[in-house]
Amino acid sequence: MKTLVRMVQRHGTLSMLCAAGVLLAVPFLIRGNDYLLRIAINILLYSVLATSLNMINGYSGQFNIGQAGFYCIGAYTAAILATRYGVGFWLALPASGLIAALSSVLLGIPTARLRGIFLAICTLGFSEIVRLTILNWIEFTRGPMGIPGIPFPTFFGYEISSNFGFYFLILTIAAVTLFVCHRVLNSRIGRAWIAIREDELAAKSMGIPTTRYKIYNLAFGTFWAGAAGCFYAYLSSYVSADSFTLDEGFAILCMVLVGGPGSLIGPLVGAFFLVVLPEMFRFLAEYRLVIFGLAILVTMHVRPQGIAGGGVFAAIAPDSEEPAGKGAAS
Amino acid sequence: MNYYLQTLVDGIAQGSIYALMAIGFAMIMGILGLVTFTHGEVIMIGAFAGFYALTFLKTGIFVALVAGFAAAWILGLVIELICYRRWPKGPDETWLITTIGVSTVLKSGAQIVLGTEQQLVPDVYTGFWTLGGVRILHIQVFMLVVLFILSAGLWLFLKKTRTGLELKAVSMDKTAAALLGVDVRRILVIGNAIGCALCGVSGVLLGVYYNSVHAVMGGSAGLKSFASAVLGGLTSIPGAAIGGILLGIFENVGVLFFSSGWRDVIAFLILIAVLLVRPSGLLGRKGAEKV
Repeated sequence: MKTLVRMVQRHGTLSMLCAAGVLLAVPFLIRGNDYLLRIAINILLYSVLATSLNMINGYSGQFNIGQAGFYCIGAYTAAILATRYGVGFWLALPASGLIAALSSVLLGIPTARLRGIFLAICTLGFSEIVRLTILNWIEFTRGPMGIPGIPFPTFFGYEISSNFGFYFLILTIAAVTLFVCHRVLNSRIGRAWIAIREDELAAKSMGIPTTRYKIYNLAFGTFWAGAAGCFYAYLSSYVSADSFTLDEGFAILCMVLVGGPGSLIGPLVGAFFLVVLPEMFRFLAEYRLVIFGLAILVTMHVRPQGIAGGGVFAAIAPDSEEPAGKGAAS
Repeated sequence: MNYYLQTLVDGIAQGSIYALMAIGFAMIMGILGLVTFTHGEVIMIGAFAGFYALTFLKTGIFVALVAGFAAAWILGLVIELICYRRWPKGPDETWLITTIGVSTVLKSGAQIVLGTEQQLVPDVYTGFWTLGGVRILHIQVFMLVVLFILSAGLWLFLKKTRTGLELKAVSMDKTAAALLGVDVRRILVIGNAIGCALCGVSGVLLGVYYNSVHAVMGGSAGLKSFASAVLGGLTSIPGAAIGGILLGIFENVGVLFFSSGWRDVIAFLILIAVLLVRPSGLLGRKGAEKV
């Protein structure tokens, strides 16, 4: 494993090309098998979602657990634009992202000062409010009936209607997401986020307007969740508030935590594991979230930085510090 | 007029449940300085313990309350073992993550083991008094009495016993307490168990008052206990009690004006407002860095 990691580090471009080749080849290998294609699509969709959450939780240290709410906003924006105003996929995609980002700014302005569990509960409450609003605002969202009949997306006149086409669509979205995230993280603003995560006071004294940057961070992260929601709406051609419960948010959070927050590759690994694992054990389908919860606990106890992480949580490996009151206890 | 008085009475009764939850929460977060996300699930487990005591063992309400207390106490011990023991110093995020893990396991596990449908809790104390057109249920008075007895017990425990004193010392400064010979780990275990046990009792009351328990009741209950504790000031136990009762009143008044579908939103809006306007809550210590 270690040699593999070292090899990847040494030949960055080459391994990227290899990965791209594999990802492009996969759908041709499993073309006839809709089930496998669907799993591959889900892995990529959750990769985008986990990456979007990782931008927030992993890089600026704001603990957001309500990502499902923004995912939901994106999906409903796309659904309403497509069915009511006849907007095409390629316009709905950035629009969903922007609406999700805008709503996160609305949430961020009052809550950017909060940290830890306070922010966590606020994002959780926001996610619930989004769902309740959609359920109760029947004239606009059709409430519990959901919005059916979202048309297939088109690409230069070619209609994407098969899983094969959707695979390439989400692959493109995932690649763009990762590329943009990578570039932003290595820019001035991304470094500012990391500085805030490491020590907010120090970042502030170095001249970073922390509150503003935290709101930017929230907006940037939720933009991709909104875009993923748009893809989801087109993929299933039907949206309903039931698909965006808190459990969905916890599933996304779990992928980030298990994969490794604070690294770009971590959420991808987490999404892969946590989509494939329940599929491998179909008889445990009911236990999906129990598995997720246990995965979080096992990760925290065994490898707190996550499978592929080395960033944020490396410092809090168990027993790294003399625990309080140890002297008195023994 | 009677209508509003009735709302007030119902609000206070409901608030007494929230107060109990919030006291438990303030115990864990404010006094011990731990972060917990499992609160709602502890309430749910307590409610189910009370429900099984009432229906299968056919015991009275008192045994049900004790069952809820005991089940939540044991759960508190388990939570401490899984979530806090290895990271006695935090940081907060670690506790948050581990307790989210436990909460997810408990919630989804309960849906599988205990079923997803609502269970009907038998009636306890069905009578009521009528006072000037306002109906006061016996169970409402009973809930207030339970709240008073438990808070008095907690107050005596904190004031009169050695463990209670040690608990207050730990709340002020963990390191200094350890230097003076206080076994901090033991105090964390006991304090966390007490906090959880109070929530277990509130869960039983919640089930009895609404005649129903279900596996996902923890979500909104947890949000309410958090909102009440923040409203009262996280570090203060009387504050938590007042915050809970106020939240109960606000909620019932709010439902008068909006539909009941928005009940949970009211608690959330109050939470946001308090965090914005006065983060230390009504009776909280000023300058305590909690936010």
